[in-house]
Amino acid sequence: MPPVEVKIGARPENRPPVPPARSRASWHVRANAVVLAWLALTIVAALAQGELPAPRWLVVHVFLLGAISTAILIWSEHFATVLLRARTPEPPRGGVARLGALNAGTVAVLYGVAVGPWPVAAAGAALVVAAVTWHAVVLAGMVRRALPGRFGHVVGWYLAAAGALVAGGVLGGLLAAQPGGGALHERAQAAHAQANLLGWVGLTVLGTLFTLWPTVLRTRISELTRRWSRAALWLSVAGLAVTVAGLLPGLRWVAVAGLVTYAVAVAVALAPPVETLRRRRPHTAASWTLAAGVVWFEVALVAEVVVVATRPVERVAAGLEPLLPLILAGFAGQVLVGSLTHLLPAVLGGGPPRFKRNAALVERGWAYRLAATNLGVPLLALPVPGPLRLLGWALVLAPAAAFVVLAVTALARTVSAGTGPAGTGPAGTGPAASGAVGTGPARAAAVGTGPAASGADAGPPSDGRRSRVSPAHVGVLIGCLLTALAVVGAMSGAGGPARTRVAPGAEQTVEVTLRGMRVQPGVIEAEPGTVLTLKVVNADAQRHDLRLSTGERTPELAPGESAVLKLAPLAGPVDGWCTLAGHRAAGMTMRIVPTTAAAAAHSAQSSPPGGDHAHTPGARLDPAAPMPSGWKPFEAALAPAPSGAEHHVEIRVQETDLDVAPGVRQRMWTFNGTLPGPVLRGRVGDLFVVTFVNDGAMGHGVDFHAGALAPDEPMRTIDPGERLTYRFRAAHAGAWLYHCSTMPMSQHIANGMYGAVIIDPPGLPPVDREYVLVQGELYLGTPDARAAAVTEGRPDGWMFNGAVAGYRHAPLTAEAGERARIWVVTAGPGTGTAFHVVGAPFDTVYKEGAYLLREDDPGGAQVLDLAPAQGGFAELVFPEAGHYPFVDHHMRRAETGASGIFKVSAP
Amino acid sequence: MTWWSVVRFLHVLSAALWVGGQLTVSLVVLPLARRMLDTDRRADVLRAVGRRFGMFTGAVFLPVQLATGVAIAVHKGVTWASLAEPGYGRTLAAKLLLFCVVMAAAALHGWATGRRPGVARALAVISLVGSVGIVLLATALPAT
Repeated sequence: MPPVEVKIGARPENRPPVPPARSRASWHVRANAVVLAWLALTIVAALAQGELPAPRWLVVHVFLLGAISTAILIWSEHFATVLLRARTPEPPRGGVARLGALNAGTVAVLYGVAVGPWPVAAAGAALVVAAVTWHAVVLAGMVRRALPGRFGHVVGWYLAAAGALVAGGVLGGLLAAQPGGGALHERAQAAHAQANLLGWVGLTVLGTLFTLWPTVLRTRISELTRRWSRAALWLSVAGLAVTVAGLLPGLRWVAVAGLVTYAVAVAVALAPPVETLRRRRPHTAASWTLAAGVVWFEVALVAEVVVVATRPVERVAAGLEPLLPLILAGFAGQVLVGSLTHLLPAVLGGGPPRFKRNAALVERGWAYRLAATNLGVPLLALPVPGPLRLLGWALVLAPAAAFVVLAVTALARTVSAGTGPAGTGPAGTGPAASGAVGTGPARAAAVGTGPAASGADAGPPSDGRRSRVSPAHVGVLIGCLLTALAVVGAMSGAGGPARTRVAPGAEQTVEVTLRGMRVQPGVIEAEPGTVLTLKVVNADAQRHDLRLSTGERTPELAPGESAVLKLAPLAGPVDGWCTLAGHRAAGMTMRIVPTTAAAAAHSAQSSPPGGDHAHTPGARLDPAAPMPSGWKPFEAALAPAPSGAEHHVEIRVQETDLDVAPGVRQRMWTFNGTLPGPVLRGRVGDLFVVTFVNDGAMGHGVDFHAGALAPDEPMRTIDPGERLTYRFRAAHAGAWLYHCSTMPMSQHIANGMYGAVIIDPPGLPPVDREYVLVQGELYLGTPDARAAAVTEGRPDGWMFNGAVAGYRHAPLTAEAGERARIWVVTAGPGTGTAFHVVGAPFDTVYKEGAYLLREDDPGGAQVLDLAPAQGGFAELVFPEAGHYPFVDHHMRRAETGASGIFKVSAP
Repeated sequence: MTWWSVVRFLHVLSAALWVGGQLTVSLVVLPLARRMLDTDRRADVLRAVGRRFGMFTGAVFLPVQLATGVAIAVHKGVTWASLAEPGYGRTLAAKLLLFCVVMAAAALHGWATGRRPGVARALAVISLVGSVGIVLLATALPAT
């Protein structure tokens, strides 16, 4: 085969250098600046996930639709121009307009889905599809005009990719326009994701690799390329089409067959690059990063086949979510970074010295960036504990941010140095410079220049290429890893087994250990009637004893001593504790529970022993005592419903230590770490898409009263680390409760798992102030004591928005003469409310979907009464400045916490 | 203020000297030595600094740290078995293991100095970062 010279990054030298290189380099500076800006925005979106309306969706789409699609548009046109030796200028005609249309469409999609009305998103999707269609038409035109060449087949991949995006984009637009829940929506979402990821991104990358990979490795193109490329293209397009066609109607095995075909096509397409690899090992930043990206693609593909094969099509979209980090950061991100590392210096021009400097710049520290990213990706994909996931985010985002900074610096340097041949210094003289990029870099970016290219003389500025690993950096890396390991070890097993279940039988012996201010096991469960014998061992360094509420007690045991207690046949719960001064308060308590009662107490199992550190048994609530200095009340002021008919929310179950009462901080089970969980607000007809993630230590679920749907799937209990998507349309106005749907619900709700959904009645008039109050019961003490109290319906206190008398310590503010609307939802689990504001009668009362009293009615109301899990609102006007208490007028509840104050100032 | 606070004070003070000393050498002395001294003098000075720091480690730091650490542990009723328990026990166990690793790295650093400069430098940094990690774990131990 004769050596064929094709150059990427340099115009063939026998053509006149018109238009001058200035336009080409400056086009690439501007176009790639857009890519980098999207990449930076992705990092910001990932960092700000807690603050965004649709966090996961936004991160995914800012990255794929913003950064990746823009890069595909720019670079596939660039490669097509170069590979087809097209006479078109760079950018090809209309390139700027296409780029503008794609970006405008992207912004519209992002805005429309996250905030605005759906037509904006749908129009954005249409614009994106139109831009890519135009792009495909331009490419097809180039192919038609081009002379037959060795590399035309690559453009076929780009055309197929564009076709996939048109299909995927149309599906995306439909998803945005018709946001109804249900099975069809889930299937369309799965198809949308596959078409865009495997098609638009995957096909483009595979096609590009045929020429880019040998270029990066600086070796000639594999002989296999042409024939294998054609086969792989047909196979992959067919596979993808079958996959999408199988997913849409829900034919699981058709989809699996399509995916397997696609996977085979990928294997075929990767054969030439792998063949190349046998000739030349990866040795540069770009080659290693690209290789890592492709490996993650394969891993993700295999995982995807497994996901699609093992669950109904409706659950595929949710099942693919854990794979997103692999595809986004592992595959797409690394391929983008790897390609830009290679291509940016080549197209930025400026002669060999500048090329060398730019290459050294974008490659700075690449080995660490590569290692960190590929360490971080599995941490994000696997169900690892919270701190490790955080580490994963840091490992993925930090290298990405570093690359953005380096690449932006390279672009800025090019701009400030001027991009024309005049700026090329010594290399800018003579005919060589007419190639605009100079021969050095041109050769470095050349495709398949035959054996010469792999020779030493064609070598790139290799001094800047190899990142020398400094011992200090290795030290930092190893030190940090060791520390991280130690921290994980230190945090492991929190909440280890502290409970023993005694098998049924007439007589049982249980060993009880006293150690470290704990009695282990903390709970013994036994069949009623069991005769228990406790062998009590003091394994601590100081003296302890054990006394039971039934009267048995051990003598004071020195370290290492033991004693035996024989109990009467078990009739009811028995408490045990150490009688030494202060030890009981420090947590040396235990409980023996008959199994019938134990079943109810079971849910307390996941609460770690000692989760109630601040509370001592027997302590009494003192609502008047000050709250701790760092305490912040839950925001009661209610913001108006966000615009847009679709609301994306992520709700995570978290076990959080909260100040629930003055001087009482205890471990609660929460939605998103607050009590109550996040308040959702919208209008009648709005769609809520809730991503529900269980970061807790046991199974949880969620039940939104505001939605009408079959509970089977969305309200199911999911295990720790799992997630589900809960989609409901708010068909009716009202103040609705949502709560954990896992049995026993009394325990889950009492532990804090509830929140409010506010759906405005049509025509709800605006008022000066709006507040939301969710009333719930508070149970204190050890998890087991709490569990028993919940079962018996003995709350220790009542809370508005998760704190006993919280708004007495941080009053809600208003001005005299203002109209306030107070939304109230009762969570219980066992009690409702008789909501009353002292000194300000209600002139409007709305309860459970209907007005009981309107402003212009002659009557007034003194109480908004709600049973557990009901909701409504009351409106009032504060007549003058002063302090207006608001209470649950069931006075025992008011006195144990269900009270707050409106502090009304003069206008 | 009891005698036990004095023991804890010594434990913390000696740790501060060790971690702070490493940080000062790495962040202050080394860069200045690189900039202001020629190669020979620099090697001499750094070797002397290293030897002095090693002597401090062996003669003061280790004895004080081990004695006070063991005393505090006994006082708190820590047993071998309790080291495996979640919470205080595991945090302390992780801290002790990391301490052993850091001491090993420091000792190997002394051995590698002059023989394998790159390895010596990496070991010094491991020791430094690991020491900071120990401080992190120490702050995570519940104070009682």
